[in-house]
Amino acid sequence: MSSPDSISQPTERLALEMRQISKSFGPTEVLRRVDFELRPGEIHALMGENGAGKTTLMKIAAGLVEEFEGKILVDGQLVNLTSPRDATRAGIAMIQQELSLVPELQVDENIFLGQERLQSLFFVDRKSQIDTARDVLKTLDFPGRLQAPVSQLRVGEQQLVEIAKALVAKARIMIMDEATSALSINETERLFQVIRRLAAEGVAIVYISHRMEEVLAVAHTVTVLRDGRHVGTVPGKDATRRELIRMMVGREIHEMLAEDKGTTKAAKPMLEVRNLSLEHPSPTPNRPMLVQDVSFSVGVGEVFGLGGLLGAGRTEVLQVLYGLHPGTSGGDIWIEGKPVQILGPVQAKALGIALITEDRKRDGLILGAGIDRNIGLPVMRTLTHLGIVLPGKERALAKSMMRQLNIHARDPEQPTGSLSGGNQQKVVVGKCLVTKPRVFLLDEPTRGIDVGAKAEIYRLIRDLADQGLAIVVASSELPELMLLSDRILVLREGRPTALLDRSDFSQETILEYASPGGAVQPEFSKLGATA
Amino acid sequence: MKGLLKTGGQFLLKTKLFWGLAVLYGAGVILSPINRKGANIFLESGNQADVLRQVSNNGIIAVGMTLVILTGGIDLSVGSMMSLGCMLCAMLLTLQGWTTASSASIPILAFVAVFLCGYLVPLVATNLRRGSAKAVQRAGWATRLLGVVLGLFVAGLLVWWTTSQLQTKFGVLGVLVTVPAVGFAIGGLTGLIIAKGKLQPFIVTLAMMVAVVGLARLLGGETAAVYPVYTGSNATEKFEILRTLVLQVVPVPGIFFLVAVLAFGFILKYSAFGRYIYAIGGNEQAARLAGIHVDQIKTAVYALSGMLASLAGVLYTSQYRQGKPDAGAGGELDAIAAVVIGGTNLMGGKGSMTGTFVGVLIFGFLTNILLLKNINSNIQFVLKGAIILGAVLLQEGQIGLWWKRLRARTRKLGTGELRKDEVQQPADLR
Repeated sequence: MSSPDSISQPTERLALEMRQISKSFGPTEVLRRVDFELRPGEIHALMGENGAGKTTLMKIAAGLVEEFEGKILVDGQLVNLTSPRDATRAGIAMIQQELSLVPELQVDENIFLGQERLQSLFFVDRKSQIDTARDVLKTLDFPGRLQAPVSQLRVGEQQLVEIAKALVAKARIMIMDEATSALSINETERLFQVIRRLAAEGVAIVYISHRMEEVLAVAHTVTVLRDGRHVGTVPGKDATRRELIRMMVGREIHEMLAEDKGTTKAAKPMLEVRNLSLEHPSPTPNRPMLVQDVSFSVGVGEVFGLGGLLGAGRTEVLQVLYGLHPGTSGGDIWIEGKPVQILGPVQAKALGIALITEDRKRDGLILGAGIDRNIGLPVMRTLTHLGIVLPGKERALAKSMMRQLNIHARDPEQPTGSLSGGNQQKVVVGKCLVTKPRVFLLDEPTRGIDVGAKAEIYRLIRDLADQGLAIVVASSELPELMLLSDRILVLREGRPTALLDRSDFSQETILEYASPGGAVQPEFSKLGATA
Repeated sequence: MKGLLKTGGQFLLKTKLFWGLAVLYGAGVILSPINRKGANIFLESGNQADVLRQVSNNGIIAVGMTLVILTGGIDLSVGSMMSLGCMLCAMLLTLQGWTTASSASIPILAFVAVFLCGYLVPLVATNLRRGSAKAVQRAGWATRLLGVVLGLFVAGLLVWWTTSQLQTKFGVLGVLVTVPAVGFAIGGLTGLIIAKGKLQPFIVTLAMMVAVVGLARLLGGETAAVYPVYTGSNATEKFEILRTLVLQVVPVPGIFFLVAVLAFGFILKYSAFGRYIYAIGGNEQAARLAGIHVDQIKTAVYALSGMLASLAGVLYTSQYRQGKPDAGAGGELDAIAAVVIGGTNLMGGKGSMTGTFVGVLIFGFLTNILLLKNINSNIQFVLKGAIILGAVLLQEGQIGLWWKRLRARTRKLGTGELRKDEVQQPADLR
């Protein structure tokens, strides 16, 4: 619902106006009649849980979604945004969560990619490009080198290169999607300065984030989406943390927080890891290894959290434990006190390890195949007789998992690609549970799913732990990590910096240990010094 | 009524391939010339048998190609593999004693026998009880040893049997066992390189295509010699059996084709192996993470493809009474075309053996109709190309998508005012 003050004053032109935007992916409705207004020089935060539709709405504005319903006006003019080129022409630039730079190209080549300065119709005018790039980057306080492939820059520096790219394209509307998820505290502060300066120069900025503190610190206006609907738009100075959370989470909030549980119980170790390491495919001086010196032990019935910024090595630790990097990884692993060697998923499965990856569509599901085929796949051989599948058995297995995990679908044959994110994630969980794991590794277990499904997954993780599984959770969402975990190991650039007990959990503490240049617990500091 | 129309439409859409075949068949009947007796030449049993005979080679190759394409791969080496099979078959039939052909293929046959027994016996042994949980475990060393011992025994028998044929030249059964085994081994090697080297199937099979045709020529000697096979004089008379018509209607190669379609269609649809093939094509990474032996399955499909292609070579030898080092030239493209017309997605994971069967028949009848109409062979090529394109566009539903996109592009931009029905409803915030 548009708030009273968003009725535009006649004198003021809106930089961007999106009216009644609806979008469905198959049967799932991700946006429903959403209105969005953006003024020149405004920093407009767009908030909402994962799967609320923030990114989709902005992808529509950036011309990255071909089909949708609704109208878009830029500077009061109706525009047709069906390709990124249209958006660039309309002065809209989007800086995505996964940066879209070409790693091998140099800074200026990236900035001018697709808008190269030419001399005599054919040749790229590198000198002019480098000069302009230097000027623009200077205004952004860019600390890195210009004549270097961007792969050698830090993530924060790469982000500045993206912003420079948008500025060179003369973007008047800049969309930033989860811009700080890979940044340290210092880098975040510097980014905010840049954003404020750009806004003062009249650039309209959409800032997508779910980090409350950041939004309250920087936004002029806050719009909240929930389950694809516009919940409200409030001025940033009036917004309070409590109100925003209520808008984002809605009625489910009590249910989720009620999940909180007691203190850690001392238990015998199920999984022990010593000096886990993983080589970096292209090592740089500030990151020689992807993972280094990671040691921990997870007890029976314990949920162990892995925290850290984007790229800190959380995912890689889980991958090594599932045997996805044989040859380039090192370290010793024990399961129930027995030393084991994990050379691939086949062995991992046989040892009772299951993994849920961060991207269920990329490597979790066969989207074109039904729920039954997906769930039956890991244990196909138990569903066969002399190599021939017993269809009744496959169906029964799928049905029992659907009941156990509360998966909503027409029938077990429904293709997983047509399920909602939450149900897809439950199918992935089901695929793991049928193998009867002892150790369950979860990477971003609730990415992109709605609040209700999230609560169900949380409850399920707790239940599984109570049944005696050892669970390792990696998550970029700190509230989630703190809610689920008994202990959290914080990683920074591939190394552990702190092991926190439940009583020490707080967002500030975790971020402090996760940020480059931040504190390190004494028992981990000597590890860093030897490298 | 509307629902009925919708389900009817969906039924039509699902079975569009068969309708395509029916339309083509009808066109064949209408367009066919009438012979002097007033009979429709297209419909004559002789002509129908001819079509089946002509499509069988391509069809058998297409069956293997379907398996490969369903995993998301492609096999360009099948044409060359067919040439090799053809040459090997002709030489085994017409030459006595230890020639290059026999001294190369008998050891390969023995190796394949040992390997297959050693691999399959433990696999079956752990899966004897209905859906037992034991199946997840690996076979014990005793079962494996049993597999290898059994393999050695079978290999010994095969070697004894084939070498005993050397004095009298190979018989029909001899070539039907030996040549596909060689194809299986070479195809398996291709698959192993693709799976373990993590290489693009396109490149690896392209290299194999070039190398294997070289092998076929080397076998034949210095010149690209043609080995004539005169049954009854320089080869066993029994080889004629592969040319005969069963019940005066069905040609023997057609039976090979039909059996291959049925057998591999069954495997694809009902076996765990088939499920794995679809799973790998649908999402290889997901299959790998589910603890599937992706590399083994991939190797297996290329081995089977090679086996079927070299079997097609044997049938070629029997049809044309000669071994020719370029017998299968271009065969890979016809097979791919038939598979794709049959609705199998080149990205893998989607398609069926039924589709391939219909695709092969469409291709065969089309060629036949054009031939009966006596159309210039160059025009035939152009028409065939156009029909492949049209069939694929239809299969993928792209034409509808283009139309939608065009409409989105040319959508009329209004004044910016909202129509009444666009005005927002109050959202329920609960």
